[in-house]
Amino acid sequence: MIELAMVPVFLPLATFGVLAVLWPLRHSGMPAAWLSVASALASCVAAILAWTGAPVAGEPAQGMVFDWLVHDGKTIAEVGFRLDAISAPMLVVVTFVAACVQVYSLGYMAHEPRPALGRYFAWHSLFIVAMSGMVLAPNMLQFLACWELVGLCSYLLIGFYWDKPSAGRAAVKAVWVTRFADIGLMSGVVLLYVTTGGFAFEMTGDSGAATLVAALLFCGVMGKSAQVPLHVWLPDAMEGPTPVSALLHAATMVAAGVFLVVRAWPIFEAAPPVLTAMTWIGAVTALVAACTALVQHDIKKVLAYSTCSQLGYMVAALGTGSFFGGYFHLTTHAFFKALLFLAAGSVIHAVGTNDLREMGGLAKKTKLTAGLFILGALALAGVPPLSGFFSKDLVLEELLHAHAYGPLLICLAAAGLTAFYMTRVVCMAFLGPASARSLEAHESPPVMLLPMGALALTAAVAGFTTGRFGNDVALAPWHFAVTAPGVAALLLALGGIALAYMKYGQGKLAGLGVPALAAFIRSGPVDGLFVRGWQQGLRPLAGVVGWVDRYVVDGAVNLFGWAALVGSERMRVLQSGKLRDATYLLVMGALVVVAWGAIGGVR
Amino acid sequence: MNGPPLEAWLALSAALFAVGLFGVLTRKNLVAILLGVELMANAANLNMVALGHFRGTPFGQAAALFSIALTVAEVVVGLAIVVLLARTHKSVDADAPSEMQG
Repeated sequence: MIELAMVPVFLPLATFGVLAVLWPLRHSGMPAAWLSVASALASCVAAILAWTGAPVAGEPAQGMVFDWLVHDGKTIAEVGFRLDAISAPMLVVVTFVAACVQVYSLGYMAHEPRPALGRYFAWHSLFIVAMSGMVLAPNMLQFLACWELVGLCSYLLIGFYWDKPSAGRAAVKAVWVTRFADIGLMSGVVLLYVTTGGFAFEMTGDSGAATLVAALLFCGVMGKSAQVPLHVWLPDAMEGPTPVSALLHAATMVAAGVFLVVRAWPIFEAAPPVLTAMTWIGAVTALVAACTALVQHDIKKVLAYSTCSQLGYMVAALGTGSFFGGYFHLTTHAFFKALLFLAAGSVIHAVGTNDLREMGGLAKKTKLTAGLFILGALALAGVPPLSGFFSKDLVLEELLHAHAYGPLLICLAAAGLTAFYMTRVVCMAFLGPASARSLEAHESPPVMLLPMGALALTAAVAGFTTGRFGNDVALAPWHFAVTAPGVAALLLALGGIALAYMKYGQGKLAGLGVPALAAFIRSGPVDGLFVRGWQQGLRPLAGVVGWVDRYVVDGAVNLFGWAALVGSERMRVLQSGKLRDATYLLVMGALVVVAWGAIGGVR
Repeated sequence: MNGPPLEAWLALSAALFAVGLFGVLTRKNLVAILLGVELMANAANLNMVALGHFRGTPFGQAAALFSIALTVAEVVVGLAIVVLLARTHKSVDADAPSEMQG
């Protein structure tokens, strides 16, 4: 089956190459788009077929590797493909969501200029290559290379509307923040090589070194998977087209950090302090991002902070010492969050604005979109029998089993908030009186609704697929419903829904909420901290460094030049050009040599 | 072995050299400077002949003969330069040419 698993790498790679080289095809727009969509669909089919034949947990991985870096006859790193119980489901998620998003983009991006459309789909193909290469990576080096490649795709696609200054700034911000975090990741990979002599996803022996490597790798995870305080780039990344937000910044790329932890699980398993830190950081992220999502006016920003929050759940679950819950939540979240983003895109497409305050009453105009969005919102809120219920409750159950009561309570609170802010969005966008913009709204074309339907189907039933996710204990779906945190989370979610419906749907509870606090949260306090850190910490430091460079380093260089200049100015007096002066110096020189010889200077 | 001792010859040679050097350093006339150079060269020749004689070898005289031949050539070149300088600067003053001033 490994040959099938290679299709999602090589087919989009060929597509990207063709679109990159044949510029008339790229500039033709729709033909380029259809080529890319066809390769994405074929990749998805191949990935699903590869998944059905993939090894389950405990079976040896299927692989095909080639020597990459060879030194003294010893292979330092390999490049290739590894299909096992961890990579196979992720490959399906990536290619399936990518295919849905590309089909959706045919409708959503139809009004773009034709060259821009070709460029957009070329980058989408490159993203599938990078993501598949990362998922199937047999070692950390290939993983890192593909990790950077998805970062590049993220940069390019966030900045897709390059004539919009805010989009360019958001793209650069995403690169800066993740790059900052990647310093840790790269140091971790180097340290891994230094201690083990290879790039395998495992470490044996010294647990101190494993802790250090795991901590450094987790720095990269915090950047890519948008953990507090490095989450600041993700909301800004919403400047990109909505399908890009759905694919990269909700379903797959931001989950790459979580996937890295799952992939390098033997390293993280050997580092209990890092796992404890992960539980807390994840839980805090889940709560902080959920609180921030409560007060956003931009529908995409709500979903972006929601993504942060759910990534926090995953990281917290991974910190409990079992990767199954986090990984399971990753897959279900990919489906329902991609659905939510595509539905939000459909709403934006219909009303022409991101602002929730200008929406309202859309349920009458766009029935299907409203239904799909509400389905996704219920899955995200954790209402059974949708997929989010099972995965979220598994996360909470793992936290309970790990005796991580603090993070468990935080995550429960975040679960209630999640239901609250999703209901708020649903009420503000789809219920209530129709706004001026809503009156002119129209339902999206089938080419956009069909992929949303496919994602809705998976978001609804993915909770029942636990058997294929590399778990070592047989976990049946109904198993979760009877646990205490599961019931508590469900009650909190229902309470959140009811409360939000009363406030935003029926206009009661006007006293609920603190406007000053909401305004403070909306202003982006964490961004403010970074800006202040830059102004008060980094800039004075840069001033000192600049002074040293200008006056000490450059001063030393200039000193030599000055000495040569002044010295030669003095020396040129000797060159009078007069014969007798020259003779005089010659004789004096000879006398010095003779005198030196006389006092024994020459032996 | 009659006649003055070696030290006397060497003293004469040193005196001759010093006179030549004094001439080279003090005269402004290029021809006079060349004469000084000749005196210094002949001081060296005298040195070689005297040392060869007192060591009982003929090589000192042979070297002096070579040196005289070389000195002749040197004078030819030197006088040729003087003539050229005299033509270009209309003077045989050693201070006249200053093109090499730095």
